[in-house]
Amino acid sequence: MIEVQDLDFRYAEGDFVLRVPQLAIERGSTVAMVGPSGCGKTTLLNLVAGITSPGGGVITTNDVEVTALTDQARRDFRIRNIGLVFQEFELLEYLNVLDNILLPYRINSALELASDVRDRAQRLAQDVGIADKLDRHPDKLSQGEKQRVAVCRALLTEPVLLLADEPTGNLDPGNKGRVLDILFDYAERSGATLVTVTHDLDLVDRFSRVVDFRQFHPQDA
Amino acid sequence: MKGELYLAWRYLAYHRVKTLILTTSITLIIFLPVGLRVLVRQSQEQLTARAEATPLLVGARGSPLELVLNSLYFESDVPATMSFGEVRRIESTGYALPIPVYVRFAARGHPIVGTTLDYFDFRRLRIAEGTNLRMLGDAVLGARVAEELGVGPGESVISSPESVFDIAGTYPLSMRVVGVLEYSGSPDDEAIFVDLKTTWVIEGIVHGHQELSGSGAAGLILTSDTANVVANAAVVQYQEITADNLGSFHFHGDQSTYPITAVIAVPPDQRSESLLRGRFESPDELLQIVPPVDVMDELLETVLTVEAFVIAVVVVVGLSTLATAVLVFMLSLRLRRREIDTMRKIGAARRSIGAVMASEVAAVLVVGVALAAILTGLTSRFGSDIIRSLL
Amino acid sequence: MHRIRTVHRVITVSIAGILAACGGSEQRDPSTSENARAPETPRDATVYTVNYPLAYFAQRIGGEHITVHFPAPPEIDPAFWQPDGATVGAYQSADLVFLNGAGYAKWLDVVTLSTSRLVDTSTPFRDRFLEVEGTVTHSHGPEGDHSHEGTAFTTWLNPQLAIEHAASIEQALSARWPEHEGSFRDGMTSLEADLLALDSALVAATAAADSRPIAASHPVYQYLANRYDLNLESVQWEPDRAPSGSQWNDFQRLLSEHPATLMLWEGEPLAETSERLESLGVTVVVFDPCANIPAEGDFLSVMRQNVESLAAVLARK
Repeated sequence: MIEVQDLDFRYAEGDFVLRVPQLAIERGSTVAMVGPSGCGKTTLLNLVAGITSPGGGVITTNDVEVTALTDQARRDFRIRNIGLVFQEFELLEYLNVLDNILLPYRINSALELASDVRDRAQRLAQDVGIADKLDRHPDKLSQGEKQRVAVCRALLTEPVLLLADEPTGNLDPGNKGRVLDILFDYAERSGATLVTVTHDLDLVDRFSRVVDFRQFHPQDA
Repeated sequence: MKGELYLAWRYLAYHRVKTLILTTSITLIIFLPVGLRVLVRQSQEQLTARAEATPLLVGARGSPLELVLNSLYFESDVPATMSFGEVRRIESTGYALPIPVYVRFAARGHPIVGTTLDYFDFRRLRIAEGTNLRMLGDAVLGARVAEELGVGPGESVISSPESVFDIAGTYPLSMRVVGVLEYSGSPDDEAIFVDLKTTWVIEGIVHGHQELSGSGAAGLILTSDTANVVANAAVVQYQEITADNLGSFHFHGDQSTYPITAVIAVPPDQRSESLLRGRFESPDELLQIVPPVDVMDELLETVLTVEAFVIAVVVVVGLSTLATAVLVFMLSLRLRRREIDTMRKIGAARRSIGAVMASEVAAVLVVGVALAAILTGLTSRFGSDIIRSLL
Repeated sequence: MHRIRTVHRVITVSIAGILAACGGSEQRDPSTSENARAPETPRDATVYTVNYPLAYFAQRIGGEHITVHFPAPPEIDPAFWQPDGATVGAYQSADLVFLNGAGYAKWLDVVTLSTSRLVDTSTPFRDRFLEVEGTVTHSHGPEGDHSHEGTAFTTWLNPQLAIEHAASIEQALSARWPEHEGSFRDGMTSLEADLLALDSALVAATAAADSRPIAASHPVYQYLANRYDLNLESVQWEPDRAPSGSQWNDFQRLLSEHPATLMLWEGEPLAETSERLESLGVTVVVFDPCANIPAEGDFLSVMRQNVESLAAVLARK
């Protein structure tokens, strides 16, 4: 699913450097990326998703050389194939739950918001237990409910790759488990690949593989 | 584009207070100078139309502006009076139809215009209800007067004393309302029309009173001889003209010396107008003859100057407001960086993010402009009512 | 200061203009007959008059081209008639209103008529009006103006002045309806001939009067007396009322200074009055001023009868 070769990434400011000589993640696997803060886990997720571009190296995601795409092509690819879940949920405060879930279909013409998409959104909400809160705004939701909305948003496009950056970082233990269950359940059912950045070592046992980022410890420039 | 528009709408609806403020600001920025211009242009047109429709005005020497304002717009300042005999003088030239007006008194805040039936023909005023003036003491109300006072044919209006403290001056006359005019969109709507002679009754020059002969009159006579009876102050003068006392109303003194405030002169052609004006050009002439349109043009120049100044101020304030609105928008963009980032990360097309922001701005502008257009339209239609309610 | 006052006026007038603005004047067809003055009346050439003589003259001159109205009730002296509102409205509808002038028809002072349609038919001889003697006016306070009640108004009783009345009528009709000027001229010529003949007849009839004292029951013969140099003194009696004792006494005192042997009456007096006058050597002569529509005949026939009656008595005495 994901192949990283000779990746070299530096931020324009500061002296952070991420070098990944080689990394391969199999299709359908569940991978936990662990390591100290600032070691580049989120950076790699962004690079794999095509949110940022490396200075050197090749990243292939789902057989597409992401690093060779244009910015717009990467966005189109990302929205069609990759579901993103963030630690801070990153919901839009002025949209209700349903509109937050449907957001990807409104911000890129590569996706068409048809009636089956709305049905799918309803079902996802039902599955994660927030079907009765579709008309509420994020400020009226609990932390766990917010993250479940974010997960629904990520799953709505039926991605082949799920990238979750500390999805349980701001959740209580009950909700942590619940959210991970949803992610794992989807990965299992759909055969999607799940890559999760996490600091919570209690959860890594659920994953089929753990990638310790200390092996890619950023060097000084 | 539908998605971007939807998101823009949702954003504006969620932040309704901010949206309302911004929309209102845009509306006002546009409406204030435009609306003001509309009002001024309309009033200018009305004032000019009224002046253009009045060929010449004859009055006592003095301020032409005061003469025009009093005679055409029934403004409160009363110019020096001229004598009624001048009407015959103008008529005898054969150069114009003279229409006398006497605008001095008022009733419940509305000017009383003493004139003749020719005035109604001249101004093309039509009766909406009742009849026109017929008898001494009759009054015909302008459309707005009837509306405001809630008075119609069969009822009465009482003239206001000129001064509460001047007990020896003019005193109230109860005038019988016989008709109401159709709305004309002119100062005539605000006036109470009476026969010229009725204004002389208000002034006290024409009056009716008890008989000074007979047994009951003994206490009313100061002195008498075979030719004349001098009445004393005990004689009760009628303050209402009825069918019973109508015959007692009479004139004292020479009617040609009775006062009027102006004569509207309507010449049949340009030549007559020039000849008539020539008659009043002598340096010894005690009267002045003015074409109202010239006087109003001069006045309106001042209006335009004031308008230009006010609009300039409004535009400056508007631009400041617009700059503030732009600043608010830019600040809100900064505050929305995270939201923009989220959308970017999820995979929003760059143009989509821009489209959402632009749609929000466009929506506020469109609604603001539309509201300004509606307000301008309403001002054009109902401006007079708005001003009246504010006053 | 002047600038401030002007700006204040600007604002006031602008507000006045704004208040009057915005409604929009309705588009009106100036040719429509609906205006503030005219009730629904047929659009013939319509003239109104304030007394019968003027109505007669107008009809003689205007002929078939005009419709003449004189709405006073026949039993009323038009000089002292007060029309009601509806009648005033009818006068307002006229194309022309012919006035007698000389203060005739006091009701004109208390009604509203369009001055542009009023024609004072006595304007050409305003300087020849006669004052009524013995009228009591009144004033208010020692410095007040007198009321003017002392102008004689039966001007048509002088046929020369009647011709001038008629001429004013002809002039006004021709100015208003120039297309019929010729017809009006013809009417005037005919009328003038009749009035001149009347004048000649009166000259002949009154030649016999010399300076003979003549009495009159009412002060309405001033212009007749003036035209034909009649030595005339008037009292104020009514044909249908018997004079009172004091009135008879005043009359006898008058006779002692003005020994009249005939007395002009507007109408036939009561028999007892006639008898008493006869006993005083005064013969009654009915000389109807014809201010209102006669029961029989017309103005000219009434005047001819007047001349006959006068001539007969003057010739006898």
